[in-house]
Amino acid sequence: MGFNFHYLISILPDLFVAALINVRLAIIIITLAVVLGTMLTVLRSLKLRLVNAAIAVVISFVRGTPLLIQIFIAYYVLPVVGLDLSPEVAGVAAISFNTMIFVSESMRGGLASIDPGPLEAATALGLRPPLIWWKVVLPQLLRRLVPVLINEATIVVKGTALLSVITVVDVLRTAQQIASSSYRPFETLLGAAVVFLVLNLSISLAGKIAEVRFEATRT
Amino acid sequence: MRFDVSILVDYWSLLAGGAWLTLCITLVAFALGYLAGVAVALVAILPGWLPKLVTGIYIETLRNIPFIIILFVVYYGLPFSGIRLPATLVGTVALALFASAYYAEIVRGALQALPRGQFESARVVGMSPAQAMWYVVAPQVLRTLVPPSTNMTLTMMKESAVLSSITVPELTYQSLIVQGNTFAPFEVFAAVTAIYWLIAIAIAELSRQLERRVGTAQVHSILANPIAARYLSLDARRPT
Repeated sequence: MGFNFHYLISILPDLFVAALINVRLAIIIITLAVVLGTMLTVLRSLKLRLVNAAIAVVISFVRGTPLLIQIFIAYYVLPVVGLDLSPEVAGVAAISFNTMIFVSESMRGGLASIDPGPLEAATALGLRPPLIWWKVVLPQLLRRLVPVLINEATIVVKGTALLSVITVVDVLRTAQQIASSSYRPFETLLGAAVVFLVLNLSISLAGKIAEVRFEATRT
Repeated sequence: MRFDVSILVDYWSLLAGGAWLTLCITLVAFALGYLAGVAVALVAILPGWLPKLVTGIYIETLRNIPFIIILFVVYYGLPFSGIRLPATLVGTVALALFASAYYAEIVRGALQALPRGQFESARVVGMSPAQAMWYVVAPQVLRTLVPPSTNMTLTMMKESAVLSSITVPELTYQSLIVQGNTFAPFEVFAAVTAIYWLIAIAIAELSRQLERRVGTAQVHSILANPIAARYLSLDARRPT
């Protein structure tokens, strides 16, 4: 049984249709993660000792355990405590939570690179802290974070492939279903690889363009 | 909901065996992946466009495809070319392949960050090329390599959980077996999470020991400025 290139081409349309699931979930996850991650960062900046200690434990947990295990926890353990989620929702919850932590940790690094001058000016003008966050800190921070967020987006897209193990019918699971009827697992999975390559290279390219745009508006 | 410790007592040998295999796989994949990564990085810094193009395709391809798909492609691709190997070996090689792309980027970055003059100066004061490499270049490159390399190794250790999907009996696979036997997800995943966490903390601590020699860059200027500290730091004590 030789390598069948025509077969590989013939299944690509089906795989790209299945990829819409990955794209949809990835968009939801990234949106949730950026919004919640920003809120978490502001909460951490309040420096409430107990809250920050608790958050530090959660961060260590999320960074120290595999994403796959976190997905399993959302899928298998949450029902035990009365939260019976569909595979898709459980998966989105797990990856969003994971990404939220990584976004907040990147923000912590990004904050260190912000010039304190405008903050002092805003404080001297008597702006309230929430307004300073909203008008002075966050616009600079988010702009600085564009490359990181783009990178995070490709990681999220790759992460959605893991949801196939909790029965979400995404690109990988579709590929496995096709392979089990065609008996051509190698070509089919290469097809899935091509789909992810196209998705992530597009994101990276879009990110490069966005960075150039931001660079242009800044000067 | 109760935490039933007897489940963990009954199945501890499965979980311990899985944890041991996870450690071994991580170690072997680290060694293989780093060797391959250094080789790719050394090719990438060769002059001309062809080495850059080839290594660029290698790195970008592996970095933009989910590891679970790389794993499946290798797992199903090898029998295709007539090679049959045990799943554990295939999984370890796939993990090393995946990590090598990231290690290559790290090593290439570290090599290129070093000013060329360092090597040349060492040669001028009479060192042989090997001495210049060993006494001047290597210590400096190593210094920039440690933090990102440990980060990647940590990522790779966690990514090894995916090997469970091709029946490699590592920690995640064993946890799914125990979960299937006992229907006690809470106890099982609590234990497994703790084990992964311990492994990760051990690796991070190892990295901290190495970094201590280098010294880390602290952002003193932010902490010294009360307004900056209020907004731009997440760790400092509330200014009094």
